[in-house]
Amino acid sequence: MTNSPENRATPQLLKLLIVIAAVLLVSGVIDQASAQGSLFAGPRLGDGPPGSVGGIVGWLFAKQAEFYRQFSGLIRAAKADGTAVWSLFGVSFLYGVFHAAGPGHGKAVISSYLVANDETWRRGVVLSLASALLQAAVAVAVVGVAAAILNVRAATMNSAVNAIESVGYVLITLIGVRLLWVKGRSFIKALRHPRLPVSEVGAAMTSKPPDPGHSHAGHSHHDHAEACQCQDHTALSHEDGHGHCDHDHDDASAWSHAHAPEPEQLAGAGGWKRGLTAIVAVGLRPCSGAILVLVFAMAQGLFWVGAGSAFVMALGTFITVATIAVLTVVARASVSRLATARPGYGTLAMRGVEVGAAAVITAFGVLLLSGYMVNERMIGF
Amino acid sequence: MIRSIRNTLGLAIMCLCIAGADKSSAHPHVWVTMKSELIYAADGTVSGVRHTWAFDDAYSVFGTQGLKSKRRGVFTREELAPLAEVSMTSLKEYSFFTFAKADGKKAQLKEPVDYYFDYDARRTVLTLHFTLPFKAPVKAKQLDVEIYDATYFVDFAFAEKDPVALVGAPAGCKFSALRPQDASVQSQRLSESFFNSPSASGGWGAQFANKILVKCP
Repeated sequence: MTNSPENRATPQLLKLLIVIAAVLLVSGVIDQASAQGSLFAGPRLGDGPPGSVGGIVGWLFAKQAEFYRQFSGLIRAAKADGTAVWSLFGVSFLYGVFHAAGPGHGKAVISSYLVANDETWRRGVVLSLASALLQAAVAVAVVGVAAAILNVRAATMNSAVNAIESVGYVLITLIGVRLLWVKGRSFIKALRHPRLPVSEVGAAMTSKPPDPGHSHAGHSHHDHAEACQCQDHTALSHEDGHGHCDHDHDDASAWSHAHAPEPEQLAGAGGWKRGLTAIVAVGLRPCSGAILVLVFAMAQGLFWVGAGSAFVMALGTFITVATIAVLTVVARASVSRLATARPGYGTLAMRGVEVGAAAVITAFGVLLLSGYMVNERMIGF
Repeated sequence: MIRSIRNTLGLAIMCLCIAGADKSSAHPHVWVTMKSELIYAADGTVSGVRHTWAFDDAYSVFGTQGLKSKRRGVFTREELAPLAEVSMTSLKEYSFFTFAKADGKKAQLKEPVDYYFDYDARRTVLTLHFTLPFKAPVKAKQLDVEIYDATYFVDFAFAEKDPVALVGAPAGCKFSALRPQDASVQSQRLSESFFNSPSASGGWGAQFANKILVKCP
């Protein structure tokens, strides 16, 4: 690998960074504007003409509504005729697929997370599956405990959901801030050594004692049996406080090898631990549709049918979210090929992308927490 | 060259996945079939809007969850009174989804009065009745009242039969009830028509607004 001359790399890099910044910015604004945000919506602000119902989005809506409105009828039918349960599950699955195309369900958070952490597509799929299933489990638990056991009112259930939701938003924010911190430092580091070729950077980072500025919290981990072999630590990096160790690897890996899934990135007990926070952050918020279906099923004396429906819905949701997650990872890999081609500034740009993605997660968390962006808020009761 | 195109494309897809992923908007979880009346005073001014909103069966069951009643699954107006109180409080945050304009100027509505729920136990349908008085009685050649949820969590639809009525209106007043049509199917036409007649306020859900248009001489 050779360095490209600086005078050629600089405008390239600048262009790339500008594009990244612009896209991230625009995406953030679009998100707020259209995602049921009270920022632009409602009587509070804006006299502008309403946006248009896009053809595809409109179609998605129509399908979703069509499926959703079949639920109550099918649940009623299931009471008399057991075979209607299968129709219910079929419709639940389709609803999940279409529904997940809408807001929530953490597609943006998961995708950004995958980009920021340079995750494999397999991990993306697992994250999507786990968060979707958790979402269903939370819905079943909320309705099971609140409605079936405690028999609380709808308003109380709403407050419970809102509280759970807030915890999820706090977690999203924390993940974002943590990634910003880690990735921001890598970015700054990359800025300082922009012209170091890949292998040298990697070598320098791994052999060098930690910078004085580094967090030494991770020191003790060196003494553990699973000591700091950075290969193994890929799976543990970034999020679990293993300080500089994973850092080093992070820096080394991103520019020394390509982004194909590697066994050590997928396996290992600690490997999944890393994604756990993300799974919980995304999966904690139960889907309003699932809650409504569950309560309705419960009222018909068919709680477990409702629970089954919620989990089938989650499978549908998983399909959509996982597709987007995989697309994101593939796209990132394609971009990072540019980085490997241009070691110095390319890697810097990749760090920039990661910082940007971390910023997106943080922004999401903050906006959701502050109520500027509202996910499916239960209204009325 | 080709490579840089591919990379740009990759970057674009990546960002789209992040952004576009959650870009699309809310979708209804609640369906309301409504009838609305405009109440006229003796002097020909409009004093308020009286709504009758019937909720879909799933949300109706959700709403009555945990409420105490003498007979299981049957709720009287009195038994539903606490629910009505809660609803008035939470709907206030959304301006009761009702937005009025008198001769193109925003007409302010006051706190609701005469609100109550009734419940159809056979169909499991909750119906909310309430009246929103105008802050000042409205005298206008043209009065627009739009009903929509900007967040589109709630889908409002006029009832098929007699969705709108003028109560005690002076002779010569004419009204029309405009539906968003089948918004999702005829989305293109819809958005065009909305650009031609901008709604009272923006927001995604405004596209699904139902509109009462009253013209008086």
